[in-house]
Amino acid sequence: MIAGFRPYMTAAGLSGYQVEMRQIDAGVKEGGTKVAAALFGTPAKSGQRRFAARFPDFVAFENQWSGIYPDMRGMLTTIRANLGNYQAVAALPNFMLFPWFFVAPGVILLGVLGLGLLRPGWWRASRRVLVALGLGLVLAPAVFQMFSRAPAGGRMMAAFKTIETHSRVERIQGYFGDMAVGQGAVQLELIPALQRSGLNLGEISSRYPGLTTFDNQWVHILNDMTPMIGAMSDNVGNYQAVAALPPFPLFPWFFVIPGLLVIGCAAAGGPSRALRVLDARSSDVPNSLTEGVK
Amino acid sequence: MRKVTSRLVPRIVTLSALALGTALALVAAATTVSATQPLNGLFRVAKGSYFRMLYPGGGKYFKNPYSKDANKTYTLIIAGSDGGLRTGVLQPAPTPAFDHHGNSLAGRIIQPTDFTGINFGLATKGIAPEISVSGTRLSGQVKGFTAEWNKLTFNQGGQVTGSYSAKTHTYVLTWKSKISGGPFNGFTGSWYLTGKYVS
Repeated sequence: MIAGFRPYMTAAGLSGYQVEMRQIDAGVKEGGTKVAAALFGTPAKSGQRRFAARFPDFVAFENQWSGIYPDMRGMLTTIRANLGNYQAVAALPNFMLFPWFFVAPGVILLGVLGLGLLRPGWWRASRRVLVALGLGLVLAPAVFQMFSRAPAGGRMMAAFKTIETHSRVERIQGYFGDMAVGQGAVQLELIPALQRSGLNLGEISSRYPGLTTFDNQWVHILNDMTPMIGAMSDNVGNYQAVAALPPFPLFPWFFVIPGLLVIGCAAAGGPSRALRVLDARSSDVPNSLTEGVK
Repeated sequence: MRKVTSRLVPRIVTLSALALGTALALVAAATTVSATQPLNGLFRVAKGSYFRMLYPGGGKYFKNPYSKDANKTYTLIIAGSDGGLRTGVLQPAPTPAFDHHGNSLAGRIIQPTDFTGINFGLATKGIAPEISVSGTRLSGQVKGFTAEWNKLTFNQGGQVTGSYSAKTHTYVLTWKSKISGGPFNGFTGSWYLTGKYVS
């Protein structure tokens, strides 16, 4: 999920999407007001009626846009507000490695304990290894700045809860279809109608910069938006998998508590424990020897 | 006795002829039904061929404002440089596959066609199409059929069905393919190719 969003989660990239939404908004507003008035004149009401009858696709999109824009703007604002949280999580070690942060110390712990029991003479060295392991686990969250980054990740996951869903992605796919129809109406109907009214493209551009920008930027908007919708769609499952994990703010404690336990165990298995192990071993050996002699 | 014989013989002959004719007709029909012939050649893409895209859930079709059809949910397609879809061989996309706007340059099967402001093209990748005819029925697979648009590639492969006239060589091929992953995840592409088959 983190890797999937990386190309889009930049300040410049997100600002770009916000600019593009504003460009579409300006084009739609200009089309529905200034262009409608220029093509069908006043009074406004009957002009609007004739405009709607002549350009039904554009007017339908204008109506849809009044719902699309606040939704998309809100979504982009939420994503933008969580850019820092995303970057904090992205700076953590790869999520794929997380299980190994627990498995590897566990294997080392078992190995060291096994060696300490099999070879009592190594017990002191084993304890040192255990203390080092415990300290490593305790310090890992500090080294990776997990105490600040993990809660940031928690905030990002909470903010994306309503964004990374199949229904939301399908809604945005629907917006994409609506916007495509709207832009088609601008390029194939409104601009040709303005040309028929006697304006050339230069005049249209200077009189209706919003409409022209929307039209001119459309391919660029498609180039930008389509992969982002793809990333959102492809990462719904990944988001849900990450969301199913324990809460992010707890993550550091999954290292600290096992670390302290390991250190505690090493301390509890101090010299007296080593002696007991040695005694047990040494008392076993003579018995068997004696039995062998007998 | 002679009278009876003279009446019976024509009847027996007629009945035998009928039985033989029916048997032959049945054998011929059975042979025709069972003979499945692979068609390795070119399915020319002619007027009337189109592509449609169904929204997830199947409620409505995607409108392509740049379609040449009056019903904008139909995107009409016309033959590319190869004339259409080839079976038995691949028709890959060129390198590079797109221009800097994301317009597909894959123009062998169909001429790249405007879809919402960016041209899409078609190619076959990996597995060559296989289509057979049995009587007037076409069947087969186009697993490697790929649509390319906006620097993205969508597998649109599937099992095809259709009809074929051995007399006129005209054919109709149809199939549907659900898009998995990417911006159109969950959409279903619906393809309809028609034209003449050339071996």
